[in-house]
Amino acid sequence: MAQKTPSPGLKPGPSRQMLRRTLFLMAVFGIGAFLLLLARLYKLQIIDHEKYESMAIQQQLRSVPSSTVRGTIYDTNMNTLAVSASVDNVYLSPQEIEMYGEDRDLIARGLSEILDIGYDEIYEKSGQKGSWYVTVARKLEKEKADEVRAFKNRYGLRGVRLETDTKRYYPNSSLACHLIGFVGTDNYGLEGIEARYDEALSGSPGRTVRATNAMGTELLFSQFEEYYPGEDGFDVVTTIDETIQYYVEKHLKQAVADYDIQNGAGAIAMDVNTGQILAMASLGGYDLNNFLAVSDGDMTIINAAETEEERARLLSQAQARQWRNKALSDTYEPGSTFKIITLAMALEEGVVSLNDSFYCPGTVNVIGRTSPIRCWKSGGHGSQNLTQAAQHSCNVAFVNIGQRVGAERFYDYCEAFGFLNMTGSDDENLTATTGIDLSGESGSIWWSKNTFCSPRNLSQLAAASFGQTFTITPLQLICAVSACVNGGKLMQPYVVRQLLNPDGSVAYEREPKLVRQVISEATSQKLCQILEQVVGDPNDGTGRNAAVTGYRIGGKTGTSEKVSLEAQTGQKEYIVSFIGFAPADDPQIALLVFLDTPSNKSGVYVSGGQMAAPVVGRMLADILPYMGVEPSLPESAGDDATVPMLLELSQEEAKQRLSDCGLDCRCIGWGDTVTGQLPAAGTAIAAGSQVILYFGGAQVSPNMETVPELSGLSYDQARDTLSRLGLFVSTRSPVNAASGQVVSSQSIPAGTAADHGCIVEVTLIDENESLLGKY
Amino acid sequence: MRYESARLSDFSAPEKPRRQSMDAGFFTLALILLAMGVVMVLSSSYARAYYDPGKVTGGNGAYYFLRQLIFALLGVGAMLLASRLPMSFYRRYTFHFLGLTLVLLMLVPIIGVKANGSRRWLGVGGLTLQPSELAKLAVILSFSLLICRFQGKMRSFKYGILPFLTILGIMIGLLILEPHFSASIILIAIGGVMMFLGGVGLGWFIAALGGVTAALAVLLTFFPYASSRISTWRDPFSDPSDRGYQIVQSLYSIGSGGLSGLGLGGSRQKFLYLPEEHNDFIFSVACEELGFIGAALILALFALLILRGYWIALHQRDRFNFLTCAGISTLLAIQVFLNVAVVTNLVPCTGISLPLFSYGGTALLIQLFEMGIILSASRELI
Repeated sequence: MAQKTPSPGLKPGPSRQMLRRTLFLMAVFGIGAFLLLLARLYKLQIIDHEKYESMAIQQQLRSVPSSTVRGTIYDTNMNTLAVSASVDNVYLSPQEIEMYGEDRDLIARGLSEILDIGYDEIYEKSGQKGSWYVTVARKLEKEKADEVRAFKNRYGLRGVRLETDTKRYYPNSSLACHLIGFVGTDNYGLEGIEARYDEALSGSPGRTVRATNAMGTELLFSQFEEYYPGEDGFDVVTTIDETIQYYVEKHLKQAVADYDIQNGAGAIAMDVNTGQILAMASLGGYDLNNFLAVSDGDMTIINAAETEEERARLLSQAQARQWRNKALSDTYEPGSTFKIITLAMALEEGVVSLNDSFYCPGTVNVIGRTSPIRCWKSGGHGSQNLTQAAQHSCNVAFVNIGQRVGAERFYDYCEAFGFLNMTGSDDENLTATTGIDLSGESGSIWWSKNTFCSPRNLSQLAAASFGQTFTITPLQLICAVSACVNGGKLMQPYVVRQLLNPDGSVAYEREPKLVRQVISEATSQKLCQILEQVVGDPNDGTGRNAAVTGYRIGGKTGTSEKVSLEAQTGQKEYIVSFIGFAPADDPQIALLVFLDTPSNKSGVYVSGGQMAAPVVGRMLADILPYMGVEPSLPESAGDDATVPMLLELSQEEAKQRLSDCGLDCRCIGWGDTVTGQLPAAGTAIAAGSQVILYFGGAQVSPNMETVPELSGLSYDQARDTLSRLGLFVSTRSPVNAASGQVVSSQSIPAGTAADHGCIVEVTLIDENESLLGKY
Repeated sequence: MRYESARLSDFSAPEKPRRQSMDAGFFTLALILLAMGVVMVLSSSYARAYYDPGKVTGGNGAYYFLRQLIFALLGVGAMLLASRLPMSFYRRYTFHFLGLTLVLLMLVPIIGVKANGSRRWLGVGGLTLQPSELAKLAVILSFSLLICRFQGKMRSFKYGILPFLTILGIMIGLLILEPHFSASIILIAIGGVMMFLGGVGLGWFIAALGGVTAALAVLLTFFPYASSRISTWRDPFSDPSDRGYQIVQSLYSIGSGGLSGLGLGGSRQKFLYLPEEHNDFIFSVACEELGFIGAALILALFALLILRGYWIALHQRDRFNFLTCAGISTLLAIQVFLNVAVVTNLVPCTGISLPLFSYGGTALLIQLFEMGIILSASRELI
């Protein structure tokens, strides 16, 4: 190297020091630095690879939940109660609108036209800075969604977007609303079965996992997209029977209107042997498809409010009230209906027998009370046997029966019947629930054992014997009464009996659950007999207004004073109720109706026997034939006459036939043979009605008649009133003219127009309230 | 002066070095890296160019690639041109070039184009130029020439330190006005290396090292901005959405690559997660797509290129040639090292591009021209 440099002094090459230092640089920059970098890369890419990869994937992958189908809710006969359908949500992506310079004015105009939303609102949403997702409209049905889609495609708008969602439909609107419940906008169950079985119904949503860019939209070359199928929700088969539910609601609504019920009403129908809830109603209801809307009456009050806050408060109050399932969430003092329980324990313990005699002087003194307990009948019932005491609903007799049972045993039985749970402490007030598979169940409230069983104060026991001083839910009562009549088995109530896989196979089957055997089979039979007499005895039974001709029905009335309310306001308010079961010889269904605060201006005496019992009777009159329970008098439709076939007969023959059946007739037109008859053959109408016979092709008058008000009339009066209009009357109540029966309700309301020949079915109750009275 | 006249007489001497053909190894390595770089620009920039969040490309995915390709072709031309010019040409115009660079650096704070809070670019027509790129070459050339001039006096402060620090000081002063921190660091590093090669006593370097350490300590104690940078460097995941965002995204990219990568074009991080993905962080995308194997290959090619550059330097008969070649090789090495060290979070984050890879037309032109100078020197090997 050196020798090649011709004149080192003048034109120097690099010095030795420079060469040394260059070699050092080569080592540092050419080798050392790179080894350091390689080591670093090895650490990041090989050692920590998985850590960084998973972190990167976490940010790159968007998991888009794909909607799964929410399960259908069926009634026990597989009629649809709730079903989901596919709908679309419309949203805007302002970021993309800006990015692609799309016309906000066009978007706002188009969408406001299609969706009927304000232009300004959409225009403002379309300009939200930095947003990728602004909802414009939710749950659009196919037709509207297609319009939006067409609009979007026509102008190639990338900022207008649709996504699939599901919407819940309730084909029966308000039917069984408190049982079914509803879902919120996010398809999350909020009430009833929808809430309680939300997990089962909703299934697990599927996911589409796809790699996205930082803006959250698809990658350019979609290299990665995986679909994890979700699991559709189970279909839920309930124990509810749509038809029974319909009958129960229909008659309950009628009662609320008839008696001007102030504070709502409820009813429960239960299969006594399994604990299956066949129907459960709570009025006023609401439309499940529009669960936020409140009744017109409430709306008027709300609109009258001064301020916006007040209106909002009133609205949410009204909503909460209409969503409340009174049959489950309200507790009340059951009153005389509870005497069934008192009777059951006394019979089971053998402290009373059917032949025992109870004397009722009208009042009874109880240790611990300053004033005597009064029987509802001021003069007293005099001497009565056990059945009569139950028929009379005699308080004095039941105070006596309760004392024979004794406080401790009484308390233990209350636990056995599911009204309270012992906690080990004798000083605290106790509670219990049935554990039904619905949310919102309230617990009962009972005095502590020490208070109840105090030997110095028997007033708790005395009042409890006829169902006062504690509160329970209607559901608890019907469960306990079912146990009394079904052979002594306390069953846990439930509303869902099956979960079905999407393919229809059974995923889960619920078996009836026996909580415990409370009383013996024999005691249960005795109870059935006694309770049948409460309804079945046309002269002496307080529950006789629940009777349905041809069926053996047992039951018990109840009229309970809201004691705590009276203490607060001095106002006397009542809950009237009736619990019935049928058939009395082999109980299958129990039915509890309670009417909260009937108006005393309705013209009907405020009592369970006068108000609630006829409602239960009407319900059973519809339900029992539907359930296929054979009436014990199959030939006859009650005490009414059945119209025979009269066509083609001569006038003489027709008149003979009719009088054989106990019917009268009226003839229209001229001719030899009957060419038409009203009503048709086979129809049941009141005995003595005038059947209309047409001769010589005479036609039924096409005129409509206005149905008159019948309530308060006797059955015969009602028959004659209608007859003048060419209308007919029938009843399924036992007809007992001697006891002074009057019409309490009619199937076609007064003021309605009806065709000639229409049959108005009425319910008859005893006018003589002295026999029914309170309790 | 005597030396000057002697040099001039020497220049007229008949034994003008005979120019050989240029070094094929260095040329080939440079072309391979350039080709890889251009391909990586295409791969890394496509998503941003397509989605065009910055409203630059009009949605043309190949926008950055095509521009880079044009500059790469122009750059190869510049490299060949530079290799044709004799080393005496560079020596003769060194101070002119230095003067021009200083003038441009002075113009930047006055008429420069502002971006991201800094004024670093001069706009000429549709093109932009960073005079700091020129300054790096100017430092190498002018220091080389001064070292030749001050042969034998480099150990003195007056010759060995003062002139060099003056030039560096002026340049860095101007860069701080922009401000341009990373270019300042590179200038200090390359200037220091040139002085080291020139023979400045090691004591000065030890003293400088102590001074820098002290200065850093002061900086970190009194300037919260600087210390927050350090804490972000130590733990970028403490603030992954803001200050640590860039480096966290870069680590995701690099780490995702694993041994063999997601395949060319397969990066997911380039889909707008990783900022500056075709620029300062292009190596992260390369790591993600090509894996450790590909990244190591790129680094190995760079190492070979740099070592070949030093080899060419070592085989120069002329001290100026030697110093220039060693300087350019070192500059290349420093830039590669700092870029990769930043994207792998080995050193705190600062904006340094990767030579031959990062998007940027004029910078690429200048880098290829610098390599052309080494090629020119390779024609004058011993």
